[in-house]
Amino acid sequence: MTLRSTIERMLFALFAAFMLSVPWVVPAFVNDFWVNLIAEVLIWSLFAASVNLLFGYVGLLSFGQALYFGFGMYGVGIGIDHLGLSFWPAFGLGITAAVAMALLSGVLAVRLTWHYFAIITVVFSLIFYFLAVTMKSLTGGDDGINFSMPPTFSFGGTVLSFTNQTFQYFFILTTVALCFYLMHRVIRSPLGKAFLAIRDNDVRASLIGLNVYLLRLIAFVMAGFLAGVAGALFAFFGRYASASYMFYHVSGEAVVWAIVGGAGTLFGPIIGTSLFIFIREVVSTRWEHHALIVGVMAILVVIMAPKGLVGLWRDLLGRLDDRETSGNVAKKLRTEP
Amino acid sequence: MSDTLLLLALNGLIWGLIIALIALGLSIIFGLLDVINIAHGDFFMVGTVVAWFTLQLTGNFWLGFIVAPLVGFILGALIQRIVIQPIRSTAALSIVATFGLSLILQEVVRITFGPTPHRILPPITGTVPLFGIQYEIYRIFAAGLSIAALAGFFLFLQYTKVGTWMRAVRHDRDTAIAMGIPAQRIYILTFAIGFALAAFGGAVAAPITTVDFRGGVDILPFCFMAVIIGGLGNLPGTAAAAVLLSFMEGVIQSTADPTIARIASLVLMSAVLLLRPQGLFKGYVR
Repeated sequence: MTLRSTIERMLFALFAAFMLSVPWVVPAFVNDFWVNLIAEVLIWSLFAASVNLLFGYVGLLSFGQALYFGFGMYGVGIGIDHLGLSFWPAFGLGITAAVAMALLSGVLAVRLTWHYFAIITVVFSLIFYFLAVTMKSLTGGDDGINFSMPPTFSFGGTVLSFTNQTFQYFFILTTVALCFYLMHRVIRSPLGKAFLAIRDNDVRASLIGLNVYLLRLIAFVMAGFLAGVAGALFAFFGRYASASYMFYHVSGEAVVWAIVGGAGTLFGPIIGTSLFIFIREVVSTRWEHHALIVGVMAILVVIMAPKGLVGLWRDLLGRLDDRETSGNVAKKLRTEP
Repeated sequence: MSDTLLLLALNGLIWGLIIALIALGLSIIFGLLDVINIAHGDFFMVGTVVAWFTLQLTGNFWLGFIVAPLVGFILGALIQRIVIQPIRSTAALSIVATFGLSLILQEVVRITFGPTPHRILPPITGTVPLFGIQYEIYRIFAAGLSIAALAGFFLFLQYTKVGTWMRAVRHDRDTAIAMGIPAQRIYILTFAIGFALAAFGGAVAAPITTVDFRGGVDILPFCFMAVIIGGLGNLPGTAAAAVLLSFMEGVIQSTADPTIARIASLVLMSAVLLLRPQGLFKGYVR
């Protein structure tokens, strides 16, 4: 076992222990607000992971993931406010809407690659952003829809709902963790290897018999699913849905979070997202112009650590590993998990 | 009714000429440096703000037409040297870096200029009869300026030594360097010219639109559309697409609201991307 995997295993255990104890540990040191903030970071991390699945593992840079986030959000918002659905059907509606939209737009979008793909995903998301702004009766436009929260579980007298902060936190943590686990399993499966083959060289991938179009479409729909779950969770979390979350800036932020954290790594998006959201929250209470710091950070990271923060970390640990196994051993092929 | 149609069509045409200036900068930066410039809309915004400051400090609007592109040129050169050069090899990183740049530019303008939008009054007021309607003189003047700048840029690219170098580096970087062309300096110059064109567009547009630190956000997708519909790397195509798109939106706006017009051009753009990814005006892919 290499030094790197030992250290990373320990860090992961620490991280998991921390996440499980957040509702008790965090209020003891700071306050309740931070529990909600960590829940929000989890949701946005999942959104950044959807960008990462496409860019980091399949090599498609999507600039329009906000569309599926928005569909997840509106599925929940419209489901509860207009259709009077309860929690689970609304959740299902949000995810189904996002996946269906991803399938429909993906059929067209994955015919293109690279710049063209980036542009067409932006264009699709802008079309639906403007539609959502126009169709005020359905979507509430920029003001959005506010709704009151239906209970998640109710057995007889006991009702569990998002009004309970601890329950809300654990619901979000469980859902996000499940999604990340799912992504981890997919990436380790033969399907994931096929994704990597396409990312590294799509011509070769097609020559060894992979159906590049279909595999890209599968990845696109999976990314739409992740973004949709994130959007639905965010709708429950904020108790509202708004067209402004479908604008291209939201997609752009997720791209930045994923790349700064480290594209093509499972934890990259979590680290990038946490970094930027914590900076925003900590600085914005003291200084109005926190965007300045975010901008400088983004530039510094891409100049200093082009593989993202996780990539930088692995390079450092890799150097330690190399020193341990002295020079005469052939360099191991570095593969991303 | 036909008067509003004519008015909006003319407005669209002139706005398209200004957009063409900005989109050209975007296109050369993309073509030469492989940089997807998310901050390009903000380069335009910086132009409007510089024009506003010039007017406030000197009381002379005309000076803005010189100061804005000059400031843009200097800032562009600095940004290329400090931010773009270290990450030049990867387009994905350029997105993050220019996104950061966009935040910085917007925030610096918000600190110095303030968060509230301002209007600049046109330096020439009055209207002239044009095709049976009364049309603002300044807009006609703006169109003239934009056409002059576009023509100047194409002449520069076609007939000067540096312009030829720029085309050479875009065509084949390695051969250009082997022939002794200072590619590094060409990159700096390209980015500077791209910024200067957008800033000049901003100064021209300042009396037509509002001066606001978020003024670049709406411009950006439109410029990208012009670049794609015109065909990546096809500069005259980009200019033509900008005018065409904006004219079309103007015409649709006379019967429907602006959002519908925007959706229509986005749908057109999806069709172009899917059916003719090489752009509307090119017969083949390079």
